[in-house]
Amino acid sequence: MLRYALGRLLQSVVAVFGVLTIVFVVMRFAGDPTLLLMPEGASQEAIDALRHSLGFDRPILVQYLDYLGNLARLDFGVSVVQHIPVLDIVAARLPYTLELATGALLVAIGLGLPAGVAMAMGRGGWLESLLGTAVLAGQSMPTFLSGVLLIAVFGVWLGWLPTSGADDLSALVLPALCLGALSMSTFARVARIAMIDELGRDYVRAARARGMSRLSAVLRHVLRNAAIPVVTIAALEIGNLLAGSVIVETVFAWPGIGQLAIQSIQSRDFLIVQMIVLLTSVIYVLTSLLADVLYGVLDPRIRLAR
Amino acid sequence: MRKHHAMQLLTKLATAAALCAILVAPSLAQAAKDLLTIDAPNDAATLDPQLQWDTDSYGVYRNIFDNLVTRDGTGTIVPQIATAWRNIDDTHVVFDLRSDVTFQDGTPLTADDVVFSIKRITNPALNSAQLSQFDQIIDATAESPTRVLLTTKAPYPVLLAQLVKLSIVPKAYVERVGNQEFNVRPIGSGPYRVREWQKGVQVVLDANATYWRGTPPFKTVIFRAVPDVSTRIADLKSGRADLIRLMPPDEAVALKSNAALTVLTVPTERVGYMFINAQAGVTADPKVRKAIAYGIDKQGIIDALLQGFGKPVGSIGAEPIFGYLPDIAGYPYDPAKARALIKEAGAEGKELTFLTSPAYDRRIVEAIQQMVNDIGLKVNITMLDQASFLRRRQGTPNDAGNLAIGVWSCACQDADGIIFPLFRTGSSWSKYSNAAFDTAVDAARSTLDTGKRLANYRTAYDILREDVPGLGLYQSYAFYAARKELQWQPTPNEALFVMDMRWK
Repeated sequence: MLRYALGRLLQSVVAVFGVLTIVFVVMRFAGDPTLLLMPEGASQEAIDALRHSLGFDRPILVQYLDYLGNLARLDFGVSVVQHIPVLDIVAARLPYTLELATGALLVAIGLGLPAGVAMAMGRGGWLESLLGTAVLAGQSMPTFLSGVLLIAVFGVWLGWLPTSGADDLSALVLPALCLGALSMSTFARVARIAMIDELGRDYVRAARARGMSRLSAVLRHVLRNAAIPVVTIAALEIGNLLAGSVIVETVFAWPGIGQLAIQSIQSRDFLIVQMIVLLTSVIYVLTSLLADVLYGVLDPRIRLAR
Repeated sequence: MRKHHAMQLLTKLATAAALCAILVAPSLAQAAKDLLTIDAPNDAATLDPQLQWDTDSYGVYRNIFDNLVTRDGTGTIVPQIATAWRNIDDTHVVFDLRSDVTFQDGTPLTADDVVFSIKRITNPALNSAQLSQFDQIIDATAESPTRVLLTTKAPYPVLLAQLVKLSIVPKAYVERVGNQEFNVRPIGSGPYRVREWQKGVQVVLDANATYWRGTPPFKTVIFRAVPDVSTRIADLKSGRADLIRLMPPDEAVALKSNAALTVLTVPTERVGYMFINAQAGVTADPKVRKAIAYGIDKQGIIDALLQGFGKPVGSIGAEPIFGYLPDIAGYPYDPAKARALIKEAGAEGKELTFLTSPAYDRRIVEAIQQMVNDIGLKVNITMLDQASFLRRRQGTPNDAGNLAIGVWSCACQDADGIIFPLFRTGSSWSKYSNAAFDTAVDAARSTLDTGKRLANYRTAYDILREDVPGLGLYQSYAFYAARKELQWQPTPNEALFVMDMRWK
């Protein structure tokens, strides 16, 4: 088990290093941000001065080593637009994104798992077609549309919930619902397939033969076995929730890092963009590492095979 | 049980979605009269008024600080902290200051603070985005607590227009707490003070009860950051916001039918223009450039794409801009004449590159492409990211494409900030060179005599009309929407002065 986990950890380190390098290359070759930062009509001297102060006039290899050195010291620089350390800016926004991702995950699991289990148990019936339609709708409706719809209905028309902002927990409901709907469908589908798979196995037939009711067979044995793929999906979904939050946070004016990323791209605040890309990549790598390790912990077949 | 719950919620959602098609009625909550909530697309980037000057930061901090001079409702430059000013000679200006102004921490505002503010913003180490607006000021000295002497590098006619944007910061406080702390917890002499700044969320301002111009109209003002326009409109309809900034023209038209709300628009100093490369490709031929000028239906673009919110302009300028002459007529829309000119130039079927980026309205780009194709040329659109666009547009003439569009503003309401950087030989934007034009704009920026300046700008605009290295398209509008109860007239410089707002 330890060897397996260490092997995966090593892979993750290589992946993170690859991301660091790709981010650097993309940021430098997409064009020099100096021109973007200057007002229209700025003089060439002013442009050159800013380019020098940002260090873009140095050889590319020097810039790369400097970049790696700064990252190793967790020095992400000072925002060229906000004049505040990038780390402080991102750190202030990260809790909002984590709050939203948690809320969305609760929505996704709380609605998706029961829906998946119900679909598997009521296979071929009206319940499955009804829930199947809802799952499909949740998955195919883009968040920028469902978000606006939720605001129009619950915020403006019914007036039950705030239309935007992050003042209290009531403001979390709509964005969490909107973001969670996507993952809800994933959970429902995975849970349904895993349940159907397990329900057809011999141990279920054996349990039934011993006189156990179908429901208690499901509760005692099937759910536990069906949980294995669901747990790993949960870990992977965290990454997707972070990526999906870019649009949801923008629509609901939720001040997380997704919204910050968009604003920073618009205001050409490249150091913030860089840190958010790095952070998101690292979270992705860590969650898939977590998924793999969890899989090994839950299922002895995986870890023994290595 | 859980299953049942999920079912219930799904049913509710389905019903809700179906009902959504029905027109949504606004349920305006009775907001407290002493609170004003403003939704802007972004949070302030900085509250230090000397670092950033994007519209959203500007909108907030100009309510916290005072300036030497300001513009009144008609756009005239009028006293604020300065009561009077006079030129000693071409490069020295003396300002008399009010003696009754205090900062929000009780310390009096004196000439030392004005001098400090100017030296601070012109110090390259501060990295101010406004540096290029003030770098013509080479010295500032306090002659007495209420008198300041400014020295400019050369005669600088735009000085007052630039000083409208110089916020006066408290020397003692800034020196005591340092730049970083000042940015987060600024103190000014303006009508509002910062209570709380939740970064990325909102800025909460409290009225400064001892403000020298009188009691501010609202006890509390909140500037919220709401990036999505449909969410801002939902905030306004649900009563969460009283005033929202910036919407596309289509939304403005849609909101006009709402009886509880009012749409506020104002022509700004921003000019929609088209660049035509005079130094490369088929557009190096002045006949082709003239043909393109005849081939563009400005009114058509304004009516179809801007919903009528725009005013055609004859040259690259607009009413609020000094030096703009409305009597210099633009080219009328005359596609037949345009086609004839193209034939005469032997340019039929020649290819043009139209450089653009996602920062520019794609629909206007495509409309212009169609219009130029219709007169016998062939336009290829090259879509680039903004950084590459700027690099090519400001690079060598051969690389800059034949056409591009933009919306220009120098935030100084002076032709010097527009046609000088766009067309003066040697400027990075200019793909054009004309010695007579250079002489005229150089002369206009080095004299304080407004009559001479106007005469020079007339010469310059006449030359531009003849040579067509660019084409003025329309004067751009700013859009706001507010609850009917709010009394406010927005200004061409897009300042959100809360002091000018009232509940009816």
